[in-house]
Amino acid sequence: MRRLLTYLVRYRGRYAIGCFCLLATATLAMAVPYLLKRAIDEVAHGGGLRGVSFYAGLIVGIALIQGVVRTFSRALIFNVGRDVEYDLRNDLFRHLECLPLAFYQQQQTGDLMSRLVNDVTAVRMLLGPGVLNLVNTPLYYVYGVAIMLSLDPRLTVAALLPYPLLLLVVKHFSRKLMEYTMRVQEGLAELSSRVQENLSGIHVVRAYAAEERQTAAFAAINERFKQQSMELARIRGQLFPVMRTASSLGTLVLLWYGGGEVIDGRLSLGDLVAFIGYLNLLAWPTMAMGWMLSILQRGRAAMHRLDHIFTTEPAIADAPDASPLPVVRGHIELRDVEFAYRTAGNGHPILQRLSIDLAPGQMLALVGRTGSGKSTIAALLPRLYDVVAGQILLDGRDVRTLPLAQLRRSIGFVPQDPFLFSTTVRANIAFGVDSPGETAIHRAATIAGLSQDIDDFPRGYDTVVGERGITLSGGQKQRLTLARALLPEPPILVLDDALSSVDTRTERAILTALEQEMGGRTRVVIAHRISTIQHADIIAVVDDGHIVELGDHAALLAHDGIYAEMLRQQRLEEELAEL
Amino acid sequence: MSSARDQASPTSAQAPEPDLGRAYDARLMRRLWDYIRPYRRDFWLATACLPATSAFSLTQPYILKLTIDRFISTKQAAGLGWMGLLFGAAVVGEILFLYLQYYLTMLVAQKSLADMRVEIFAHVQKLDARFFDKNPVGRLVTRMTTDVDVINEMFAAGAMTILMDVATLLGIVGIMLAIDWHLALVSLALLPVMLLAINFFRTRARISYRLIRERIARINAYLQEAISGMTIIQLFAREAQAFREFEEYNDAHRQANHWSNIYEAALFSLVEGISSISFALIVWYGGRRILGGALAFGTLVAFIEYVQKFFVPIRDFSSKYAVMQSAMSAAERVFQLLDTPPAITSPEHPRVPEPKRGRIEFDHVWFAYKGEDFILQDVSFVVEPAEKVAIVGATGAGKTTIIKLLNRFYDVQRGRVLVDGVDVREWDLNALRRHIGAVSQDVFLFSGTIAENIRLDRTDVSADTVRHAATTVNAHRFIERLPEAYDDRLRERGSNLSTGQRQLLAFARALAYDPTILVLDEATSSIDTETEILIQDALAKLMANRTSVIIAHRLSTIENADRIIVMHHGQVRESGTHRELLAMGGLYARLHTLQTRGALAEMPHAEQSPVSTADARKA
Repeated sequence: MRRLLTYLVRYRGRYAIGCFCLLATATLAMAVPYLLKRAIDEVAHGGGLRGVSFYAGLIVGIALIQGVVRTFSRALIFNVGRDVEYDLRNDLFRHLECLPLAFYQQQQTGDLMSRLVNDVTAVRMLLGPGVLNLVNTPLYYVYGVAIMLSLDPRLTVAALLPYPLLLLVVKHFSRKLMEYTMRVQEGLAELSSRVQENLSGIHVVRAYAAEERQTAAFAAINERFKQQSMELARIRGQLFPVMRTASSLGTLVLLWYGGGEVIDGRLSLGDLVAFIGYLNLLAWPTMAMGWMLSILQRGRAAMHRLDHIFTTEPAIADAPDASPLPVVRGHIELRDVEFAYRTAGNGHPILQRLSIDLAPGQMLALVGRTGSGKSTIAALLPRLYDVVAGQILLDGRDVRTLPLAQLRRSIGFVPQDPFLFSTTVRANIAFGVDSPGETAIHRAATIAGLSQDIDDFPRGYDTVVGERGITLSGGQKQRLTLARALLPEPPILVLDDALSSVDTRTERAILTALEQEMGGRTRVVIAHRISTIQHADIIAVVDDGHIVELGDHAALLAHDGIYAEMLRQQRLEEELAEL
Repeated sequence: MSSARDQASPTSAQAPEPDLGRAYDARLMRRLWDYIRPYRRDFWLATACLPATSAFSLTQPYILKLTIDRFISTKQAAGLGWMGLLFGAAVVGEILFLYLQYYLTMLVAQKSLADMRVEIFAHVQKLDARFFDKNPVGRLVTRMTTDVDVINEMFAAGAMTILMDVATLLGIVGIMLAIDWHLALVSLALLPVMLLAINFFRTRARISYRLIRERIARINAYLQEAISGMTIIQLFAREAQAFREFEEYNDAHRQANHWSNIYEAALFSLVEGISSISFALIVWYGGRRILGGALAFGTLVAFIEYVQKFFVPIRDFSSKYAVMQSAMSAAERVFQLLDTPPAITSPEHPRVPEPKRGRIEFDHVWFAYKGEDFILQDVSFVVEPAEKVAIVGATGAGKTTIIKLLNRFYDVQRGRVLVDGVDVREWDLNALRRHIGAVSQDVFLFSGTIAENIRLDRTDVSADTVRHAATTVNAHRFIERLPEAYDDRLRERGSNLSTGQRQLLAFARALAYDPTILVLDEATSSIDTETEILIQDALAKLMANRTSVIIAHRLSTIENADRIIVMHHGQVRESGTHRELLAMGGLYARLHTLQTRGALAEMPHAEQSPVSTADARKA
């Protein structure tokens, strides 16, 4: 809630003006029944037409001014709500940008989306319409009651007799309403997770001919949800009439008791009409009370969920004393690196006491079977994760002492899973730089072996790749991500099994082009085809988080260990594929 | 993403943007009526409450008039109590019918929409694998929850109350005209002005609503993409640029909202203002007539009340209109899904071969997932009843596809797949799948207990059968060690179980199913030796006396098979026993050398990368 306050405070000026306008609007609104009263009294006392016309004219004047002020107050306060929404979304987005990979691995995209969309909306409702009603309701009550008291205290008390009772009822209802709403929301969540699960496992459902049984199980949950919804509808259905009763009962009292007063001459007919008018004015704020309570609760709950994002510390960020390297040469050293995904002791180590020294311009190849830890090593270099023990040094400096932006800009990273943005081929290649030259883009595409494909696209570089690159083949996507990494010409290149969907011949061609064009750069390459990385300066065979063999191709062949064995098998596989 | 602002398309994970279509579509309404029909008695009752509610509501000002004219003005205090009671009765009547109307409507809505949800669910169950290849799960969930909810909104806040509003408006005009048509005309003199103004603002508001929807869709699309690709943004240190783009979208959305807020505020104030001015008109004109003795006081007061009641529904009309619009487009989407015909269905007159012995035949089968890209090319083979066949081949050779065709998840383009001599397309789907037990590589577990996962909701599987199946496949031991044994609830779909344990559970599931034919995609992931022995033993028991087709990755499985089929590039290249194939010295012999050599048998074709995106991980 404190965070909510900071947003309120930020817009205190406009809130203040808005509230002032609300005050003015309420004042003018309160004047109308009074003027009606004066006009009617004038008529009743046979005061003549001039008096009536005067009051009628006043009402028209007030209505005109009120129209302007009211427009102003509502627009102002609702717009502040939108501004807070805007700020909140920006702040959330900025914060999300700082959160590490580990956060996104735990959080479902859908859940984050729902927070940024639905919860932000709930907060906006609280700060826009919520604030408006929060100010308006007491204002109307205080004003209305005061004026009514001044007209006739006894009648006021009598007319407002049902209201305290109403407060009790509202309290009772809002608790129940909250309870039932929660239940229905949980029911809905259960319903959707059931559907989600069923659809995710639809192949099992189908294989075991379980469709009807699944439908029956769903129908049962659905039935429960229906019952819950109907109960909620019952409560909701009761709330509104009960609220209506209060103001209508007031009118009943007015007729009965007030009518008698008029007959006895203690009250004018105008007073009676004014009273009816004031009760009408109070009816809406009264009915809005229940609604406001739920907005308040929902807004608070939503803010709480947003706080969950805000309070997640950016675990990987610039150190306070981070200073950039004047020039990045590309000397990478892993010194006794250890890593585990879960730091709190229970996570079993992924990497253990890993040490590699890679001189600027050298190429390191990482090989090993699935799950051996190769990709983790790659991910540690741009600090997608931080090491648990040991150090990774770039040009002799621990990477954690460098500004993140410099470190990451120095590394052209090509991940295994080629993520593309739903924009043009050109924009995807140029993702990493501010104002790319056309020639540079073409060059990157050429090295990545993509230029031929792009020329075949209907709109060339302006072809929109579709959501997550859906219109491209696996190999094209991978080559596009490679081109994207090449364009900024980083001193270091990391290829995490980046060409797995590319056929052997193309892969070889790309690697050769890379060699020629990017030869001076430090390269870390994870490849599943050994034949393509044979010429690496250093080949490290990783197994179960350890480096089990280290050396160049010739040395490892001579060693006749895992590497030599892998090579033989792959030759055979390749031969097989050629058949 | 730098130029994404030009073409940020809504991503597939969210519902396509509802176009601002009509608020009333007779065709959709007729279909919606089909859901209401079973509850039409309640529906008509609710509808009947509408005029009653209006009538009770509109009597109140009239009672006010009578009270003033007949009693207060004539100073007859005696009748006041009665009039009060009468007024109270009108209030009670209004409230009662209002409540009844709302409650009955919601009752009908909840019941018919619950039916609709089940129908969608059941329909989606029937849709084929190709449909799921194209439609993300998230979108389907939206159909069943959000969209149905939007239709519900129509009941709660839209259609029904619009009817009531119309009734009320007509009633008010009628009553006012009946009481005093001069005053009535004066009271409603500003109505044309109001309608013009409302029309003016509504047109503008509608444009800004559309802008808002477009822009929120852009924000959502951008967010979805940015969150999924956050690692890439971070790797390229593009946080600042991404933020600028986001801010731009965010600001555009805010601007559109600012304008719509202004229009709405103006509209709201206008209606309030005009009703105040109408009061003035009533007092001014009515006052003159009272002074002239031509009008009673009560009429004046009653007219003020009527005018007030008149303007409220007019003010709320635009929001109800919007509710109707979204409901129509939601209904459109729901019906579109319901109208998607399942491509794979049971034939009208299925052939059921008896006895079911478990013979499988692929007869010159050609199959492609997309276009002419044939995954299987002219594949023919026969598996005799109770024979155990291992299918081997490199990744992408078409092994998994064979299983999918056997189960009729997809239909072949050319050739035939026969089970017990009958084309699978002529089988009753359920009977066919009941006949075949499939175990896939990645075991899918449902949330629920261990027993439920083995039983898969079937009521005819007893606890003993479950236990027996688990014991047979060596799963009983680890299940017993769980806190609640068979009633232990799986956390997050079994993420607390090891890969080997999940395998054994899948075996137990298949065994409890007791199929004639077993098809199994052996897991490639490495499992510790002890579990491996358990699995091999379980597998042998599972295959006993069953026709078994196994996509084999393990040497022992392959060698234990009666026959081996070697797939290569979508074709059957070799077939025979282990010995025969070795002796042939062909593909299998080479594959075998590959397999037998060392620990690195499976090469990392699809290593799970830590640098993958959120969606890929959760897929």
